[in-house]
Amino acid sequence: MEIYQLKDVVFTFPEQDTATLDHIHLTIRRGEFITICGKSGCGKSTLLRQLKLILTPHGKRTGEITYCNQPLHDMDPRTQAAEIGFVLQNPDNQIVTDKVWHELAFGLESLGYDNQTIRLRVAEMASFFGIQTWFHKSVTELSGGQKQLLNLASIMAMHPSVLILDEPTSQLDPIAAADFLETVAKINRELGTTIIMTEHRLEEVLPISDRLIVMDHGAIIADDSPAKVGETLYRMNHPMFRSMPSPMQIHAGVENDLPCPVTVREGRQWLDAFLQDKLIAATEVTSPVELRKTPAVIQFKDVWFKYEKNGPDIIKDLSFEVNEGQFYCIVGGNGTGKTSTLSLLSGLLQPYRGKVQIGGKNPAKVNAAELFTHYLGVLPQNPQSLFVKKTVELDLYEMLSFTKLTKEEKTAKVESIVQFAELEHLLHMHPYDLSGGEQQRAALAKVLLLEPRILLLDEPTKGLDGFFKEKLAAFLKRLNADGVTIVMVSHDIEFCAKYGEVCAMFFDGSIITSNETKKFFAGNSFYTTAANRMVRHRWSEAVTIEDVIRLCQATATH
Amino acid sequence: MRDSFSTYHPIVNFVYFVMILVFGMVFMHPVFQGIALTSAVIYSVMLNGARAVKFNVVYMIPLLLFMAVMNPLFNHAGVTILFYLKNGNPITLESILYGAAAACMFVTVIVWFSCYNAVMTSDKFIYIFGKVIPALSLIFSMVLRFVPRYKAQIKVISNAQKCVGRDVSQGNILRRARSGITILSMMTTWALENAIESADSMKSRGYGLPKRTSFSIYRFDHRDRVVSIVMAGLILIVLTGAVLGENTIRFFPSIQLIGITPQSAVIYIAYFTLCMLPVIINLVEAVQWKSINSKM
Repeated sequence: MEIYQLKDVVFTFPEQDTATLDHIHLTIRRGEFITICGKSGCGKSTLLRQLKLILTPHGKRTGEITYCNQPLHDMDPRTQAAEIGFVLQNPDNQIVTDKVWHELAFGLESLGYDNQTIRLRVAEMASFFGIQTWFHKSVTELSGGQKQLLNLASIMAMHPSVLILDEPTSQLDPIAAADFLETVAKINRELGTTIIMTEHRLEEVLPISDRLIVMDHGAIIADDSPAKVGETLYRMNHPMFRSMPSPMQIHAGVENDLPCPVTVREGRQWLDAFLQDKLIAATEVTSPVELRKTPAVIQFKDVWFKYEKNGPDIIKDLSFEVNEGQFYCIVGGNGTGKTSTLSLLSGLLQPYRGKVQIGGKNPAKVNAAELFTHYLGVLPQNPQSLFVKKTVELDLYEMLSFTKLTKEEKTAKVESIVQFAELEHLLHMHPYDLSGGEQQRAALAKVLLLEPRILLLDEPTKGLDGFFKEKLAAFLKRLNADGVTIVMVSHDIEFCAKYGEVCAMFFDGSIITSNETKKFFAGNSFYTTAANRMVRHRWSEAVTIEDVIRLCQATATH
Repeated sequence: MRDSFSTYHPIVNFVYFVMILVFGMVFMHPVFQGIALTSAVIYSVMLNGARAVKFNVVYMIPLLLFMAVMNPLFNHAGVTILFYLKNGNPITLESILYGAAAACMFVTVIVWFSCYNAVMTSDKFIYIFGKVIPALSLIFSMVLRFVPRYKAQIKVISNAQKCVGRDVSQGNILRRARSGITILSMMTTWALENAIESADSMKSRGYGLPKRTSFSIYRFDHRDRVVSIVMAGLILIVLTGAVLGENTIRFFPSIQLIGITPQSAVIYIAYFTLCMLPVIINLVEAVQWKSINSKM
C-alpha cells in the first residue's frame, strides 16, 4: 500500500526562475526504508519538507502529493503532527526543554494527551531507546549522539507511521552515527515504520536501505535498489558515484560479471570469488614515500593537561613532533583529547606539566598578534563562529582591518584569496546562507588572509558531502605544496587515508602510534579504511580504493 | 546523605518552605527564633554536609555578630540605658537585644533559603508555576535550556575569534571594545539563525495546536497526603499561638513578652516539630531502612 504518492511535483522558491524540484514522480510504500542522496543543494531537503505541510517553505508548487490516498493539505494538522515524524540535522537546535523527560513528552503535550498516557508512552520509548539511565538528566549533559537519539525518541513517542530524517548524522562522529543509524534500522525492522532519509554516510546506510534515490538539480536521476543504482551512476559517469561505498566503487572499477557488493563482508566474498584461479598480483603498489627531513615546528614534550584541579587528566604524557611542511592527521575516538590538543597548540589552554612549543616558543606566552598573523592559523570546528559581517566580501575585508595596508593592497589580497577559494559567486551572500561546504571554504579564506605558515584544522570534513570533501582536499594539497604545515584532527578515516602524509592515532589522552599514512593504515586491522578492511586478508598494504582497483587490474591481466 | 523530604511532591516542599520562611520572618519571640535557627542549621548541614558547616561558620556567624553590634550604634530607642557613647548618644538594652534578634532572624532566613535551593530544583519550580500558568512553565524550561547553550556558544565564538587575534583579551581598549561588540553581534545572528530550526522542531511536534497539556513526573501519593495533614495541623496550632500573641515580642520602648505557660509550651512544641519536620522524616526513614536491612 502506498503511503506517499508524488505526481509531477514542481516547486519554485519565491523570486527564482529555476525550479528547485523538477517534475518529481515518486511512490513510497508502507514500511519501506528509503535513502535519498545527492550533492548539497540538489533539492533533497526541499523534497523532504514537501512531505510535511507545516515545514514546507514558501514558494509556488504544482502537482499533487497524497498521503495514504488523501491529498496532503486536506489532512488536519493534528494528524500530521502525530503521523509524520521529522528529524532535522542539528541535534542541539531541536531540543527545546531543559530535561530529558520533558523533551520526550513535548510532542505528546502538544497533542493534548493526559498525564497517564504520556507517562506510559514516555516509559515505552525510554526503554526502547535505552534512555532510562539518563532519563532525569539535563539535556546539556548529553553527548551529541545522545541528543540526536533523544530527538528521535521524542518523535517516536508520538507513534508516527512515517519517519523523515534530514541528514540526521551529519553532526555526529562515526561511532555515534553508526549507533543512530542502527536505531533507525531497528525502528524500521521492529515497528514497521516507513523511513525516508537523506544521508551522506552511504557506507553505513546502504546495507539497510531498500531503495536508493539519487537527485541532481532538483530531479530524480536514479531510483532503485542500492546495488543497481551504483551501476547506473557508474554508467552515467556521475560525480555522485564517488560517494558510494568502497566495495561498490571497486566492483565498478574492475571488469567482472559478479554481483555488486554493498557491505565490506560482501566485498570480501566478491574479492575471493574474483581472485579464484587467478595469479594474485604482488602487493608492491605503494612506493614508500620518503618522509621529508625538515626541522620540527611543533613539539609536544611530556605534556599533561586537565580542566579542573581535581578533574581527570585529559592529555596524558603526550609527546610528538610535526615537521615543517607536513600534512599531519590525528585520528581517534570521541573525547580522547584531540580537540584539547589543538587548543594547547593555539595557546588557548596551557598544560600543567610538560612543554608545548611552536617554532621554539610557548604559544601561550607569545603575543597573540604576533602568533596569529603570518604564523598560526586555526580553522574552528564550526566555521560559523568566524563570520562577523553581513556579506562574505565584508567579512574578508574585516580580517585586514587592523593591518596597515593600503586600500589597493587589501583589494589585491582579498581578490587573490577569493580566486583561490573559488568564492567569486558567493561574495554578496550572507555567510549563514551558504551551504556547509561553502561556509567551510569562506572560513578557510578568512584564516588564510592572515597568511599562516601552520594551519590547524578541527574536523574540517564534518557534515560535508563527498564532492565538497574533494574540493577541500584540493585546497589543502595546494597550501601544503606552498610549504604550509597542516595539522588536522578528524574522524574521517577515508579522508585522512587519501590525503594525509603522516597519521597518528589518539587514544586515552595520548598518541599511541604514528606513522606514514599508508603504513599506518596497513598496520591497523579495525581502525582503517573500508577498502583496506575489505582486502586486507589478501593485500594488507592496499589502503585506498585506487590501490585495490590497480591490484585487481594487475591480477586480471596476469 | 540522601534527603527524603526532597522526594515528596513539589507542592508539599513549596508550601513547607513558604510557611517556614514567613514564620521565621514574623515570629520574633526568642524561643521561636532559637527553634527556627537551630532547625535551619541542622537541616542545612544534613542537606549540604561539610559545605553547609563551612558556610554557616565562615559567613553566618560573622554576619550575625556584625548586625547585632551595628544596631545599637544607630538605634537609640528603649528605656533601659546602659551607658552613653562619647558623642552623647545612649546605648540601650532594648536596641542591643533587638539587633541580636534581627540578626538572628536574618541569618535564619538565609540558612532556610540555602535549604530551599537544595530541595526545590528547577523542575519542581517549573512544575509549581506550570500549575498556575501552564504557558509559563514551558517558557521557564526553555530559558533553562537556552541560557547554558548561549553561554557555551559565546565561549566557542570567543575562542575562534581569539585565534584570529580578535578577542576581548587582545589589543588596546578600543580594539577590545570593538571585538566585544562584534562577538555579541555574532551571537545574536547565531541565536536567530538557529532558532529557526528550533521553531521547526517545535512546530513539527505539534506545538501550537489547541488544548496543550502539561506533563509532570510527580504524583501526589499517600505519604504526601499524610505529611500535608500533619503540616496543616502544626501550622494551625502555630497560627493559633500567633492570634493569642504567644509568638511575638515587643522591644520598644521596653521589652514585653508572654512567659512560658502550658499553653505556650504546646505551641513551642508544635513549632519545633514543624521546623524539624524534614529532619524527622529523614531520621524516621533512616531508622526504617536500618531495621528492614537488618532483617534481610
